[in-house]
Amino acid sequence: MTMTLAIERVTAFMGLDVLVARDEGLFAEEGLDLKIVALPPDEMRSAAEGSAAKPTTNQGKLQARGESQMFQA
Amino acid sequence: MGARQVGRRATIVCAALVVAPDSSVFTPQELAHQKVGLDYGNGTAYAGLQMLEGAMPREAVTTVAAATSPAERFAGLMRGDFAATVLQEPWITVSEKAGCRLVSLTFFHGTWVAIPATNPEAYAALLRGITRAVHRINADKRRYVSYFKRDWAGHPEVDALSPEDFNLSRIQVKEPTAIPESEARWAWEWMASWGLIDGAFDVTAQIDRGLERQAHELARG
Repeated sequence: MTMTLAIERVTAFMGLDVLVARDEGLFAEEGLDLKIVALPPDEMRSAAEGSAAKPTTNQGKLQARGESQMFQA
Repeated sequence: MGARQVGRRATIVCAALVVAPDSSVFTPQELAHQKVGLDYGNGTAYAGLQMLEGAMPREAVTTVAAATSPAERFAGLMRGDFAATVLQEPWITVSEKAGCRLVSLTFFHGTWVAIPATNPEAYAALLRGITRAVHRINADKRRYVSYFKRDWAGHPEVDALSPEDFNLSRIQVKEPTAIPESEARWAWEWMASWGLIDGAFDVTAQIDRGLERQAHELARG
């Protein structure tokens, strides 16, 4: 039976492995339906809006509202 | 308990401290009391702080908030908004082609974070797929540099890159492992020393060892 897992969007600089595994069907071969979910552009906040002590971040936002199980930190 | 770290990821990030082509700065020490644009809250910003603090007293480290997007940080550097910034690939390669200079380079290794309800079998399947991808990438890194371009398609500086432009030593992947407690503790205490987090390190609050162990054991078969 195929398992499902949702992770927050990754890009090559920190998640090249994930993108290659997805594109080459390696997750499917392992019985995993991996969903990569992205925050809508209008909800993305830039680090330029934050400060060192109070940074803004987009990591974990989808997980916090139940739309993903995992994200990269 | 909420989401916690559950293992090292596979891709190790390369971060470079970069100055503009006309800069008089050749070493990180020369950035003392000069504005460095950092994307606060991200690993690249922490890597930037670590490169700077290794070269000068902390009170000489001078940073300003910069965009999350490395494309915008590169543009800000070229405009002269700050004396230096930290970039990751493919923007390190873009900056070198534009005549910028790297004055320091470092690598960092992030983690996966998961909610407690994550299915260990599904996480194990993720780890198995990632491990196979790591072997494929390491067998032929040049074949996969197109991924760095694909993320930034439509940016002329990135579109102009050829696979041969990339320095493959800046692309590092390894099989995912558990998080060494000593490294997690060091990272926490380092962040606390900068006032970025409060409180003492508590491994059980930071790492879900149960899920981490179960998934890694299942992945190994």
